[in-house]
Amino acid sequence: MLHRMFFPAKKHGHQHTATRTLTSLFVIWMLLIAPVSSAWAQTPLSENAQQPPLTKQQLTQPCYLKGISEQLECGKVSVAENPQQPESKQIDIHFAILPAIKNRYPNEALLAIAGGPGQSAIENAAGFNRMLNKVRQQRDILLIDQRGTGLSHKLACEDDNMSLLNFNDEAVNIGETTQQCLDEIQKKQPTDIHQYTSTTALGDFEAVRQYLGYQQLHLYGISYGTRMAQLYMRKYPQSLKTVTLDGIVPMQQSVIAIGGAIERAMTLLFSDCANASACQQTFPNLKQDFDSVDAKLAKAPIKQQVRDPLTNAPKTLLLTRSKFNGAIRMALYTPNIRALLPHAIHQAAQGDYQAILGIYTLTADSAGIAIGMHASVVCSEDIGRVTEQMRKDAKISYMSGNMLDGLEKTCAVWQMPQVDTDFSLPISSDIPTLLLSGEIDPATPPNWGAMAMEKLTNAKHFIAPYATHGVAYQSCGNDLIAQLVNGVNVMDIDGECLNKDVRRSFYLNASSVEVAPHTVTNPSTSQDKD
Amino acid sequence: MKMILAMVRKELIDAARDKRSVMAGLYYAIGTPLLMCGMFMVLIGQLSSPEDLHITINKADNAPDLIRYLDNNGISHGEGKSVKAITLTISDDYAADMAKAKPAEVIVTADKSNEKLQKSISRLERNLQAYSSEMGSLRLIARGVNPQVMAPLKITVHDQSTADSKGGLILGIAIFTMIYSVFISAMNLAIDTSAGERERNSLALLLSHPMTTRQLVLGKVIAVTCFAMLGLVLIMLVSKVAYMFVPWQELGFSVNISPDFMGLMFAIGAPVALLASTLQLYVSFMAKTFKEAQSYLTMVLFVPVALSMAATYNIAPHVLEWLPVSGQQQVLMAFIKGREIPMLQLAISSAATVIIAIALMLGMERSLKSEKVVFGL
Repeated sequence: MLHRMFFPAKKHGHQHTATRTLTSLFVIWMLLIAPVSSAWAQTPLSENAQQPPLTKQQLTQPCYLKGISEQLECGKVSVAENPQQPESKQIDIHFAILPAIKNRYPNEALLAIAGGPGQSAIENAAGFNRMLNKVRQQRDILLIDQRGTGLSHKLACEDDNMSLLNFNDEAVNIGETTQQCLDEIQKKQPTDIHQYTSTTALGDFEAVRQYLGYQQLHLYGISYGTRMAQLYMRKYPQSLKTVTLDGIVPMQQSVIAIGGAIERAMTLLFSDCANASACQQTFPNLKQDFDSVDAKLAKAPIKQQVRDPLTNAPKTLLLTRSKFNGAIRMALYTPNIRALLPHAIHQAAQGDYQAILGIYTLTADSAGIAIGMHASVVCSEDIGRVTEQMRKDAKISYMSGNMLDGLEKTCAVWQMPQVDTDFSLPISSDIPTLLLSGEIDPATPPNWGAMAMEKLTNAKHFIAPYATHGVAYQSCGNDLIAQLVNGVNVMDIDGECLNKDVRRSFYLNASSVEVAPHTVTNPSTSQDKD
Repeated sequence: MKMILAMVRKELIDAARDKRSVMAGLYYAIGTPLLMCGMFMVLIGQLSSPEDLHITINKADNAPDLIRYLDNNGISHGEGKSVKAITLTISDDYAADMAKAKPAEVIVTADKSNEKLQKSISRLERNLQAYSSEMGSLRLIARGVNPQVMAPLKITVHDQSTADSKGGLILGIAIFTMIYSVFISAMNLAIDTSAGERERNSLALLLSHPMTTRQLVLGKVIAVTCFAMLGLVLIMLVSKVAYMFVPWQELGFSVNISPDFMGLMFAIGAPVALLASTLQLYVSFMAKTFKEAQSYLTMVLFVPVALSMAATYNIAPHVLEWLPVSGQQQVLMAFIKGREIPMLQLAISSAATVIIAIALMLGMERSLKSEKVVFGL
């Protein structure tokens, strides 16, 4: 999964503060956020160290990927940046193989497609490896850095988090910073940004499959990766054996419609807390708490002296409305950080922003998103599909209004040809397809999954009641994938195990999720409990 | 030369006539891999922690969130037969301590010397540790601190083992059974053709033919060696098929008997087979009866077994790599682990094997010239 957010990107100079705004605010975040876990204490994070080639393998070379100690196989395929002009500039598409433990099906592999748009699949190898370990028992797992991400001609701008805490993200000129970013990318290497869309990238995936000689692939797409998977189903159905879509973005849907999902997830957070007696008693007015902070920040940002969450140096925190909302939105992706939200919101309403600061510092990083590739995809495939209705809906909520506004300004600079109307047609296919949606997903709500089902004749859609974004990572969803890949008829797959209660209790104070006995007075909340 | 071939033919026909003893010699080659596979299947089942680990949880009500976390990771309270003898007790002060950010106690009670439980115990401990550090991280977040500060070291491990080399110990045992099969398959024939012939008084008859003792010894050695190699080929074929059915992947590695390995094993096994046949013939010629020879051989065979065992468990590797049998075994293990084959060690241990075999043959030749041996006086 995604660990990058805890490990800020390289710092270069002090001029690029604003590019961060692009990433932290207007990115659609169709991706997976790593849960807070013990991994922090242990997860080794190495650069993708490629070893000198050995003669043993002709197509790949041994390599180590971050978070996995064993030796894996890596390689690359050269493709034309512009497929219409095969002789023109070539770019390298990098891939990694997690070799099967016992390779019973050497002609098959499972291709795992990362989200974003803009995430690197190879960088998230450790998460895929853990989640897909049952599939890996008998089949290779193939990870490809989609063009424009990770090692494959990444379109990114240098991030800088020097003034993460006190810069005013609402005062940033988005058009200008986008232009700066574009210039920076062009300066590094002249690039035809029009070639970094999903459709073009799909050809690379197929090229890698052929290069490695896999006859058929099983697909696992997460989040934006589900769009790639669906395009694969449309264009190269003969190359696919099964497909799993997790956190589904249906073809009919522009990702910019995410605003509704965020609102929905917030409402569910409030109702979940209200339905849990301990949370309800500790934070009886959670929604009002949130509204009051939001209203306060809408008037003016709050300035406070704080300690830097990492270095402990004294810093000024400028808490803007967008930082506050952004932090909460990101926390909704991860069940265990979500559990801290009622406490964080309540404390903020009391004027204590420590918990919000803690969450913000986790989530404000760009999560390894290649912002240029993100823009190429969204500005070509999504911005043109924004309808008047969506625009109207977006105005209602602060988050989605803010996001749409930012994206429109970005795309005004990031000029992309628009996809034709066929792009938005639902996928019609009889490939065995498993669809997974999380009930409390703040990005791709269950009804998006239902929409993707429209013309799938051999598909089954499961809704995990306690999962957020990335069902397979949070439930037995990965077992269902293993069943599908191992040949169980998709209609016979039983999703009963998804109903297992895996909820995390809400934090009642800064330390505990359990209700303390009456005799103990709770030091960190002012609420009375009886 | 013609004489030797005729001798070999005679020995093989002799051996083949006695179908029961032929089979007895080969039972080992067929049976061992099957038995080993059965054993490993049971062992894997016992060693690996079951997907759904049932343990006894006391006072689960004190920590509902922890219990749900464990349940989500496949560890839950159970009743009846499937429950492992591990008890997790949540202390009564759990919630109170938690609220005060003091370490809240959970007690794991289990017998750590019980091998069948070890994996399950460490799995439980690992999950408790994970829950604990997850909560630790969230406590820091709630206090406005980035949990990254808890990880001053970024430990990156680059493990150079491969899926094949992780199965090294298992393959070491498999190689051991294969080398041993060379000895066992040859045993019956070696006894029958030496001590047996003495017992039946046919040895004198044979010697009365116009042939040298050297030709006689060579003929017998070649016949017995052929038999030993037959056993080796058989055990490799059976192993190749049988090992495919063991779910090694559950232990995280693969055991694959590749054609390359089989070729190498055959080449390396040839001198060992020669040694096995000469050694056993030599010892059997000293015995007057079949039974006597059997009991001698059981003792003598201990030597190659001990060498091979020591190589499997990596005892004194620097001495063993130069010796016959163990040297070859280490070369085979290096091959399986994907390391470079130590040619020098292979050459020396193979040469030693052949030299010992020749010395034994010369010894046999001499002893067959003695009337004491021929007539069993």
